Amino acid sequence: MAAPVLAVRTGILFRSFKTFTTLKPFIPVISQYGVLTQTANYHPKPLKLNLKDPYIPDKTSEKTPEWQLTEKFDRKRYGRYGDASGIDPATLWPTDEKLEAMIKDEAEWHPTLEVMLKNISIREEEEAAKRRAKEKLIASNMAKMPKMVADWRRERSETKKKMAEEKTRKDKLLAEARERFGYAVDPRSSKFLEMVAEVEKEQKKKKKLLKRREKEEQAATPLAPADE
Amino acid sequence: MSLIKKPGGKALDVLQNLPRITLANLRPEPGSKQKEKRRGRGQYGGNRSGRGHKGERQRGTRPRLGFEGGATPFYLIIPKYGYNEGHSRRPQYQPLSLKRLQYLIDVGRLDPSQPIDLTQLVNARGVTIQPQKRDFGVQLVDEGAELFSAKINIEVQRASEAAIAAVERNGGVLTNSFYDPISLAILIKPVPFFLRGQPIPKRMHPGEEMVPFYMDPCARGYLAPPEQVQQARLALAKKYGYVLPDLSRDELFHMLSSRKDPRQIFFGLSPGWVVNMADRKILKPTDEKLVQYYGS
Repeated sequence: MAAPVLAVRTGILFRSFKTFTTLKPFIPVISQYGVLTQTANYHPKPLKLNLKDPYIPDKTSEKTPEWQLTEKFDRKRYGRYGDASGIDPATLWPTDEKLEAMIKDEAEWHPTLEVMLKNISIREEEEAAKRRAKEKLIASNMAKMPKMVADWRRERSETKKKMAEEKTRKDKLLAEARERFGYAVDPRSSKFLEMVAEVEKEQKKKKKLLKRREKEEQAATPLAPADE
Repeated sequence: MSLIKKPGGKALDVLQNLPRITLANLRPEPGSKQKEKRRGRGQYGGNRSGRGHKGERQRGTRPRLGFEGGATPFYLIIPKYGYNEGHSRRPQYQPLSLKRLQYLIDVGRLDPSQPIDLTQLVNARGVTIQPQKRDFGVQLVDEGAELFSAKINIEVQRASEAAIAAVERNGGVLTNSFYDPISLAILIKPVPFFLRGQPIPKRMHPGEEMVPFYMDPCARGYLAPPEQVQQARLALAKKYGYVLPDLSRDELFHMLSSRKDPRQIFFGLSPGWVVNMADRKILKPTDEKLVQYYGS
């Protein structure tokens, strides 16, 4: 008694179900393990639509809840029961006003591909222009760089020289003061400053004398050849 | 004497002659059930029941995770940086490796003789998509590219270059197409959508940021011109070093070349149609305005 039942059960595995599931007759595949034929398929969950006893709410009675009188519920009833729900299918699509609203929304929130491509191209052009301007600026600045570097180096050496000269001048003045006064004078004191002023005056006088002599010599030398 | 071997053989004999299966005949596979740890029992489990000796450990009054005894904890002392900023607005793509795809085809959950869509993948329980969690679809990952050997027409939302190469090397076709969140929810659960009684909506175009990707032939975008896609296929074959099979000679050429319209969600169903599951009918609108709207 058990054997035939089991035979039927085992037999089912090697046959395919008939009605509900989608039969997919596969071509037998020849692989390293031998010939393989698919026998088991995907069985979707059975749809319980309850077509024999559809629920149709009474639109006139007061007892039916509000949500059962809405369009949305009507659509759901049609989707579930089909024609047995007694709903005119033409009401499933949007009315003219609603359609206009939908078109308006779409135009605002979902631009067409052409518009989007245009925006993208504009944006990319702006970015490219910005990048080019930046690169141009960098290139021009880099071209100036050798000159700027040389200038800076020159200035640095000049300031160094100046500082060295200042130092030597100061040292000389200090030495002079040391000689004159006989002791190390503070460069900030008034004595030192007076001495510096005197030294400068003497230097100026010397220069003037030198200049006069040079002028006399110059005046003498052109006259001499002119005379001759 | 027929020496035809019965499939199953002795095992089938035994199975047919055994008594019926009841709870008395069943026992779990040895090694499958591990005994649970029972605290506070026996010489070694008793006493302090694995809680240690005195203090917060035994008394269960330890402070919260991350507390460092009063010093500013690590998770507060490290300053914030915008790594996770806007994370909930970023589109996510559920990964699908080529290894898993090959497995699904081998065990028969996916049918390679039909175009493989996200609906087919979800029906086969190959991936789980949650549109409410910012999922925008599925991405094909190239793990298992060496093992992949199936000729398929697959449509995903993102795919790495190596995955595209692996699919095309075996004579298949890959397309990257975009589904906006509403269309995606309809795509992964078509039957509950049809039971709603709504007309099938149009699939919206991708946003401005994603349009360049879906128009790129190298990414096999669904908005890219087909000639450029063909050139990209040849270029990829050269790059990865395989011979691109000629699909026009293929017996499944019609199936492999079937592609959805950019506004279409399902193969064979246009936007604007209402599917009546109970009476197995499809209703199409005839009003001009509706036809124009759903056809644009």
